Amino acid sequence: MENQRTTDDTGFDYMANKGREEKDRDMLGVILAVVLVICMTLFQYWLWY
Amino acid sequence: MTSQTLTTGTIPQDSVGYDQTRRSIFSALYSFREALPGLLAMLMISIFSNNLPGVPNPLTLQNLLHWLDGVIGPIHHQPFFQILNSNFVWNPLFLGVLIGNIFGVPNCWKRGLSYIHMLMPLGIIMLAPHFMVYRSFKIGLAPILICVGALFVTATLTLLISRMVRLDDRHGSVIAGGLATGDPHASVILMPLIKAKGGQVVNSFFCLILFGLVALTLLPLFGKWMDLPQTTFGLFSALGIGNGHQALTAAYNYGYEAGRYTYWYDIGRHVLMPAGFIYVFIVMFLRQRKNSDNPKVMATRGIEKFPPWLMVFLFFWVLACLHVFREPAREVIFNLVIWDFSLAASALGLSLSFKDIFVKPGLKGFLVTFIAGFLRIGLLMLALWICIKTGLLPAA
Repeated sequence: MENQRTTDDTGFDYMANKGREEKDRDMLGVILAVVLVICMTLFQYWLWY
Repeated sequence: MTSQTLTTGTIPQDSVGYDQTRRSIFSALYSFREALPGLLAMLMISIFSNNLPGVPNPLTLQNLLHWLDGVIGPIHHQPFFQILNSNFVWNPLFLGVLIGNIFGVPNCWKRGLSYIHMLMPLGIIMLAPHFMVYRSFKIGLAPILICVGALFVTATLTLLISRMVRLDDRHGSVIAGGLATGDPHASVILMPLIKAKGGQVVNSFFCLILFGLVALTLLPLFGKWMDLPQTTFGLFSALGIGNGHQALTAAYNYGYEAGRYTYWYDIGRHVLMPAGFIYVFIVMFLRQRKNSDNPKVMATRGIEKFPPWLMVFLFFWVLACLHVFREPAREVIFNLVIWDFSLAASALGLSLSFKDIFVKPGLKGFLVTFIAGFLRIGLLMLALWICIKTGLLPAA
């Protein structure tokens, strides 16, 4: 059934990911964050100075 | 992925289906076609909420509120909507809640919206370079010790009071984080750590802002009663209220110098924020491990070991303290955080009904916030009086 008012019967809880799926998502966030922070920091030393 | 799941677009609530279809770590991202509608919804809400770095869109909620601030005029040198904590998290969340509750959320958006689960650790890790501890050294030893004491005492008191009034421990934890750090953002940061519901987090935001509004009215009266010097009132306001512009409003109401000193002392509160939310997480995590069979212990439920992404955050925080991230990089990384949290807040807003925010959490959150907040103010008054009498803080 089309959800008309946000939450539905099966739940709409983003934090409800469990098990392997949750770990994969966390790890993807970590990898992306580490890559971005390292790139920004290296650019700071190599390009701006 | 089953055809049933594809048709309804609902998010799988168990990991069995995911494990069967998983090919690599990237399976958690779904296919581009599935995720695109939700991602576009997040993007549209974000760029019409905030002046995002790199997006030259003038038609934003941020600009509208800024214009209204000009119409209303400053209140003790502070813009009205800044006192209400309008910022890059709450603007898109507000728009998301409005859109979700007025028009509903199509099921085809949900896959993309579920990316919030990845955006939260991403944003929190990138926030680490923002907290450069060395900046607080300038305020002096006694004020730093008072900042540290206020942080941990407030967090502990809030958790104890929420337990006494039998508030849901997840709700109590996010209030404790927000009140102790003096920043409702900490409640959002604690959301994935505590496994709090979105409605509890937004409800805690309202609790904290309402407490701040009452406190900013009363604090100047308390300051005059104690005959606090302008300098000390700056510290009192930064720690007793927090929330940036709310503390400044109270302080500028007390006197111009008090306002300037609130800017000066606020850095002590700000740089210690990570210690506040990590402390709340560790306390609740240890409690959950000790009471794993107790169904009433909900906070951090499902977390079996210290989250790896929190360790990465701590590692970057240490690097920030060692001054590895200099100002240009810190600023660029923070711009990415603004993007990340805007997208995440849009998705969170779309997922919440007014009932989730105001009805389900009840009024106990307000009770806990006000009791803990005023206890903190009382203890701060005592600490400041002792410091003035012993000469640790200036008497005039």
